[in-house]
Amino acid sequence: LKGADALLEALRERGVEVVFGYPGGAIMPLYDALLDSGIRHVLMRHEQAAAFAADGYARVSGRPGVCIATSGPGATNLVTGIANAFLDSVPLVAITGQVATPLMGTDAFQEVDIFGITLPIVKHSYIVRHVEELPRIVHEAWDIAGSGRPGPVLIDLPKNMAAGEAHGAARVHEPRPGPAPPDEAALARAAAMIGLAERPVIYAGGGIGIGRAIHAFRGFVAESGIPVVSTLKGLGSVPTDDPLFLGMLGMHGTRAANNAVQQSDLLIAVGARFDDRATGRLEGFAPGAKVVHLDVDPAEIDKLRRADVALPGDLAASLAALVQRPRIGTWRRHCQRMKSEHAWRYDAPGDGIYAPELLRRLSVAADGEATLTCDVGQHQMWVAQHCLIRRPERHLSSGGLGAMGYGLPAAIGAQIADPRRTAINVSGDGSIMFNIQELATLRRYGLPVKILLLDNRSLGMVRQWQELFFDRRFSEVDLSDNPDFAVVARSFGIDAMTVENASQIDGAVDALLHHAGPLLVHCRIDPAANVWPLVPPGHTNATMLEGSLQ
Amino acid sequence: MNRTIEVSLSRAEGAIVRTLGLIERRGFVVESVATRGEPQAESLILSVEVASRGRPYDVLVRQIQRLFDVRHAFLIEPQSAGKRLAC
Repeated sequence: LKGADALLEALRERGVEVVFGYPGGAIMPLYDALLDSGIRHVLMRHEQAAAFAADGYARVSGRPGVCIATSGPGATNLVTGIANAFLDSVPLVAITGQVATPLMGTDAFQEVDIFGITLPIVKHSYIVRHVEELPRIVHEAWDIAGSGRPGPVLIDLPKNMAAGEAHGAARVHEPRPGPAPPDEAALARAAAMIGLAERPVIYAGGGIGIGRAIHAFRGFVAESGIPVVSTLKGLGSVPTDDPLFLGMLGMHGTRAANNAVQQSDLLIAVGARFDDRATGRLEGFAPGAKVVHLDVDPAEIDKLRRADVALPGDLAASLAALVQRPRIGTWRRHCQRMKSEHAWRYDAPGDGIYAPELLRRLSVAADGEATLTCDVGQHQMWVAQHCLIRRPERHLSSGGLGAMGYGLPAAIGAQIADPRRTAINVSGDGSIMFNIQELATLRRYGLPVKILLLDNRSLGMVRQWQELFFDRRFSEVDLSDNPDFAVVARSFGIDAMTVENASQIDGAVDALLHHAGPLLVHCRIDPAANVWPLVPPGHTNATMLEGSLQ
Repeated sequence: MNRTIEVSLSRAEGAIVRTLGLIERRGFVVESVATRGEPQAESLILSVEVASRGRPYDVLVRQIQRLFDVRHAFLIEPQSAGKRLAC
């Protein structure tokens, strides 16, 4: 058996049906073996998009995504996608071609040290040095990527290892034990604190969805009756229309969510990591609160905020043991009052399309059942603020890395992982250009992905910050010379329409949900629209700037 | 005050540089490094003297512990060389 065959056989043994990639010189033996492997290969048009597609596939399926690239530039083009998976804890197995081992270290053609380059952004990595090690490495990589706190694993595959024959038996893969059960004494202390709390708040993070702990989490929320706020990646841990849900916290969070956290006496952090976008100035975050911190990763405990009770380990197991019903009727009513007093408004003046209103109506029309993938910028925050989201795996956003260009390839991965569910990429006119070549992938595979392109002819979020914090000195944010995106889409063979008037919202929503095949809806919006509210940098979440319609 | 972290590592490609790189990237200063281990052994011991810029050592040790090639990592108690502290 050749190394490439052994690698693919190991992937098949793990149930891999589809991989995302782009061929090239050093990876050719693997691409040759793919032809007879029974594994479906999706040819993306850029390696970065292959990594993002594998990421989207993983987030929706709950299983590691696989991406493949050749050595040198192919490998370096994966780096942004690998970093994205690392920062958002997404299980990913990235396979890179490498020059043959006798050439490694000689600055050969298309040789880069991708193992060294990616050391800080992988959960683990390998250089294959012996063909017979390949099955063990693949199985080990798969387990590492998907277990505990998930993350990316790199397998660097020299060309002679892929093409060579295995000689002799190799060490077999030995799975490592899962996380230890939660500590009983710590659980008892946490339960007692919850039972006695007067103003508790649940701070829900991305770990709930990643850990597939949704059922246990929702049971805990329902039983305890404690108000919930969430991070960007925690959205959908409870449906965003749940009465106990106060909204996203942090820089672009709701006033109800941020005020509740600031006023709380107990913060129950579940799969959250006290990220700076969520906490604002850390020293002033939830100043009067004790902290119970649940996380599958022990290294997150005490990293940024000391926990009064630490519960490292499996979230579902801990949550099931924590159910209490504190007497917090007054606090709950106070939170509800804040929520209704600061409810979103959508009565924007004028005839133009108010993006938050369009997004709200789109997600409600889909009943929260579509998979929404975002790029990065103002539209990303509007989706988080205004869309109905019922589960975390239906809201794919580059949270930690904030990588423009994520949305379209992630939608491709999501669509392939769940072909019966509509995947909608909400993008901006800045972000779409980062991976617009993937329109060709939609066309080639006939994927019915929808794209809602919110076009404000500028880099909106940067422009907003320059307006607010740089004395309106606008530097390199003008994109008024954008191409005609509808024409661009049609040139790829993708249907397209352009809308710019509020009266066209219903038609746009209907097309996004019911058009057969891929579609790009190019939506012109007000270039001056900003994302509100906003916690200025360096401030606590008690300081929130408000604009109109808030 | 500097502290010493003792790390037991599998002899795998990149294990040492991965560990030392993590320590520096997490905001600590590597003051000195020593390794010991038999040439044919499957593991080696890495002793790293680190200085903190105000970040907790126990969190760093847990970050080291989650590296796949790390078998054990312990913070050595000051003035009591060899005594291990659980993290």
